[in-house]
Amino acid sequence: MIRLEHVSKSYRTSTRPALDDVTVAVGKGEFAFLIGPSGSGKSTLLRLLLREEVASTGDVYVADLNVGKLSQRRIPQLRQRVGCVFQDFRLLGNKTVTENVAFALEVIGKPRHTIRKVVPEVLELVGLEGKADRMPHELSGGEQQRVAIARAFVNRPLVLLADEPTGNLDRDISHEIMLLLERVNRTGTTVLMATHDHTIVDSMRRRVVELHLGQLVRDESRGVYGVSR
Amino acid sequence: MRASFVFSEVVTGLRRNVTMTVAMILTTAISLGLLGGGLLVVRTIDRMQQDYYQRVETVVYLSADISANDPGCTSSTCSALRGQLESAPGVQTVIFESRQAAFARFQRIFQGQPELLQLARPEALPASLRVQLSDPARFPSIAKAFTGRPGVDRVTDQGEYLRQLFRALDGLRNATFVIALIQALAALLLISNTIQISAFTRRAEVGVMRLTGASRWYTQLPFLLEAVVAGVVGGVLAIVGLVIGKVAFVDRVLAGVFEAAIVPRIGYADIFSVAPILLLVGASVAALTGYLTLRLYVRT
Ligand SMILES: Nc1ncnc2c1ncn2[C@@H]1O[C@H](COP(=O)(O)OP(=O)(O)OP(=O)(O)O)[C@@H](O)[C@H]1O
Ligand SMILES: [Mg+2]
Repeated sequence: MIRLEHVSKSYRTSTRPALDDVTVAVGKGEFAFLIGPSGSGKSTLLRLLLREEVASTGDVYVADLNVGKLSQRRIPQLRQRVGCVFQDFRLLGNKTVTENVAFALEVIGKPRHTIRKVVPEVLELVGLEGKADRMPHELSGGEQQRVAIARAFVNRPLVLLADEPTGNLDRDISHEIMLLLERVNRTGTTVLMATHDHTIVDSMRRRVVELHLGQLVRDESRGVYGVSR
Repeated sequence: MRASFVFSEVVTGLRRNVTMTVAMILTTAISLGLLGGGLLVVRTIDRMQQDYYQRVETVVYLSADISANDPGCTSSTCSALRGQLESAPGVQTVIFESRQAAFARFQRIFQGQPELLQLARPEALPASLRVQLSDPARFPSIAKAFTGRPGVDRVTDQGEYLRQLFRALDGLRNATFVIALIQALAALLLISNTIQISAFTRRAEVGVMRLTGASRWYTQLPFLLEAVVAGVVGGVLAIVGLVIGKVAFVDRVLAGVFEAAIVPRIGYADIFSVAPILLLVGASVAALTGYLTLRLYVRT
């Protein structure tokens, strides 16, 4: 589902490459953690998958798309298949929970009756059915992240990318978010989550891909965060 | 494409920056109004040129001798001149006006001023050959060929005064266009700036749109439409402004001139034939500015 082949990425402004000859594949329906210290290239890798950046060398594939070779016009096709959530939620403050989730469908031209049907369904899936009409500032951080996940998931993407989704949340709430991501994963969606959070990685016992200074240094199928750092 | 969604985005966008929106629309309106004014001047000039040059005559004034002694243009000098004028290229008609006829015309023209009439004597007026040219540009060659010939006093062209008048009107038109152009530049910068502000205040939405895979159209159309709305509303205001300007200003100040048919009246038909041009120019220039601004300043 996700495949990187000898991918390197150098930003124009820095000397050290952010990613250095990374080859890795994540299969359909898999759940994988992407770990590594700050600056190791986790976010860069996720940005390549979204075509927010283009690899300097090597090839990036998502589903059947060669991401680096997509024309500008076809980038939306990629992004409609890849949902993403971030540490800072990125909700629209002037829209309700329902409107935030619906927005993701409106802007890709989904018909109104579909939107009216699927938005409540996905809000139920993330456990927010009672808060559909709240504004983001009336929600806790954990609830806001649920909205963000609902928005990323509402179009049933093949892949869900999460960049430190629990970075702003305390341990218990983080755990709930992890359960939600597992639930998303069980629907067949491939999940790739970048994180520093030892506790979460250790407790989930899922595949761990570790980066260090842009290089792939570990890839274990039922890994822990590791003791070296 | 969900029209209602795009439409509501446009309305929120315009409402969010009310002051900028108003400034943008007013500047656009003034610019388009000036453009429209310039176009109306052009139409007026064209129409004036048509009927003025039709009416103007080149006049060959005849010598005192002919004026006094040849009331029917029967002398060999006079009839030869007439014959040569008639066969000269570009000449449509040649009419002889005797001293008596000239005096009669003079009396007609100055009917209202008896003091003048009393002073005037027929002897003061020369007889003339009045020449209608099919092409007013022919005048210099006629003047050159006939000036100084026996029996000719001088050759004058009423067209010369008209040319001065039209030069003044051309200047007015050019000045209007130049101001319209400067104003248009201000309008463009304002539109561009408003779109940038709009894109900035909406960066969160645009960010979400990009990541959820909205097409370029969905992300950019609201901004483009904002610009186009400004262009069209500006155009409508400009047209309203022209109508008001006609009724409240031109029709009053130039009433006498219109009455005397010196300048053809500017009618509603003229304004409405300029109107679609203003709307089209407003909308398309705004759209183009919007498109370029998005290309240059807004990441998608
Ligand atoms: N836009 C950019 N321009 C230049 N250099 C960048 C850019 N983004 C990231 N980098 C550099 O690339 C390297 C990898 O950054 P990246 O954000 O991928 O790390 P990360 O693993 O996500 O770190 P963190 O855990 O702190 O989020 C860093 O050295 C960073 O300074
Ligand atoms: Mg990061």
